[in-house]
Amino acid sequence: MDTAALIVALVIALALFFDFTNGFHDTANAMATPIATGALKPKVAVGLAAVLNLVGAFLSTEVSKTVSHGIIREDQLASAQFLPMIFAGLIGAITWNMLTWLLGLPSSSSHALFGGLIGATAVGVSLSAINFGVVLSKIVLPALIAPVTAAVVAFAATRMAYAVTRRYDGQSNGRDGFRWGQILTASLVALAHGTNDAQKTMGVITLALITVGWQDASQADPHLWVIFACALTIALGTYVGGWRIIRTLGKGLTDVRPAQGFSAETSTAATILASSAFGFALSTTQVASGSVIGSGLGRRGSKVRWRTVSRIVSGWVMTLPAAGAVGAAAAFVVHGLGTAGVVIDMIVAVAIVLGLFLWSRRDEVTAGNAMSEVAESGRAVHVKHKSSPTWRRRRLDRLKAEESAAKAQAKAKAAEEAPGAAREDVAGAEDVAEAEDGARVEGVARVEGGARVEQDATSTTKGPR
Amino acid sequence: MIEIDWSAFARVFGAALTGAVLVVFFYAFGLRMLVRAGRVPRITSAELTDAIMIVSKKDIRRAEKAKAKAAKRPPTTRTQRRVAFAVAITSFVLCATAIAGGLFLIVAGR
Repeated sequence: MDTAALIVALVIALALFFDFTNGFHDTANAMATPIATGALKPKVAVGLAAVLNLVGAFLSTEVSKTVSHGIIREDQLASAQFLPMIFAGLIGAITWNMLTWLLGLPSSSSHALFGGLIGATAVGVSLSAINFGVVLSKIVLPALIAPVTAAVVAFAATRMAYAVTRRYDGQSNGRDGFRWGQILTASLVALAHGTNDAQKTMGVITLALITVGWQDASQADPHLWVIFACALTIALGTYVGGWRIIRTLGKGLTDVRPAQGFSAETSTAATILASSAFGFALSTTQVASGSVIGSGLGRRGSKVRWRTVSRIVSGWVMTLPAAGAVGAAAAFVVHGLGTAGVVIDMIVAVAIVLGLFLWSRRDEVTAGNAMSEVAESGRAVHVKHKSSPTWRRRRLDRLKAEESAAKAQAKAKAAEEAPGAAREDVAGAEDVAEAEDGARVEGVARVEGGARVEQDATSTTKGPR
Repeated sequence: MIEIDWSAFARVFGAALTGAVLVVFFYAFGLRMLVRAGRVPRITSAELTDAIMIVSKKDIRRAEKAKAKAAKRPPTTRTQRRVAFAVAITSFVLCATAIAGGLFLIVAGR
């Protein structure tokens, strides 16, 4: 086996490992809310997410095409020159993911991957090898716009969900039924995750295959075996990652109400699916966080905690350049030391993989939990327990107050017209006050005349509302 | 010169908003009709996190009072309940159709 083939094999192995960690990392994005609201049992939720990630990976390959045919001008590069850079880029992405995981910093696996690739290419080849137009239009701008889109959509959806089911007659509003709906929407998020995240790894493997000449450069679609391998790996990672979801439940997501969770998940799924169709490589974590914040704001009496929001956003902003820097460092080693550099990078990669494995075996709950970013987004919005009344509730209260005033007025008028009854009424009121001393029965008997007057007066004041 | 297709972002926003609003509206309306049909959804779970969760004894008394007051109102007739149930089912079917339609558009667009 020549060096190029060896590096391709290493790239595929690393890419699949990255895919596995991506599934492992993001299971909770889809399934934490339905588990938190009691719609699904954890085991069922994790199994469902794994199957739907598998299916989703086959639905669309647009994002894969963006990664393999867009970010890097691979047609202008020699395989011997570029192949080690893909390898270095993957190491940059995995290292950054690992670091953020250990330190509990908000991050995005997808942006770590892009950052690693861009950084490695910039140092190992040249800046001109990067297609900045595609990077801006398909990665940077969607990263900025998609969470806002998801938040706006979730805000509108939550408002509507509450408005449609709100009742003023004191009867049940049936919002418990949103828990059933969450099974559907959480499944959609898992499916959407498959359509976007599995594609990124497919794109990297396809890029490596094109670089080494094992796939025609004009052929953008990934090979069927690549789709199968990536789909199965992300599904496996999703299934294995399930245990972390249970930990997430105690981390703030329990405040998400069923109607809110339903709307947030629908918004997440709709935004990711629409973006996947256009080939935008998104971070599902960012979109899910945007939706959770938007749906929180959609509840009445909510207020944004800007400090929490800025902490989350600063973590996102940092991911691309930071992963790029790590990728660049890995590429620098390969560029300077040649094959020895590849070996050194490989040793570092194995150490990182081992570290990740050992970390995943530790039975410890830390801020670096897989869902911490999205769970934290739930705390970015403060919802008052007693929110301000709706305009309709205010109108009903006003009418009630007017009615009471009219009643009192009618009572006073009746008292003027029938002084005898009023006297009895006053005496009755005094008797009620004396009821504590055992005189209540007598007082109620004497007040009956006054009560009749009040009833008659009420019937005359009731008009059309 | 970097060319950016801004219309693609607008289309993503439009598609996401339309899809989400349709799904949420049909589902929420279906629930509302289900309640009107006298089939209030109840799901038992370890933690009740719904907005209507009753926490204090005072709240329970208030809810019972409101329930008794609501019970005094003229109940819906059997036909009205049947119609409401049929509308609820139609609404849920429309919600599922909206999802299936969205997925079909993505698969067809490959």
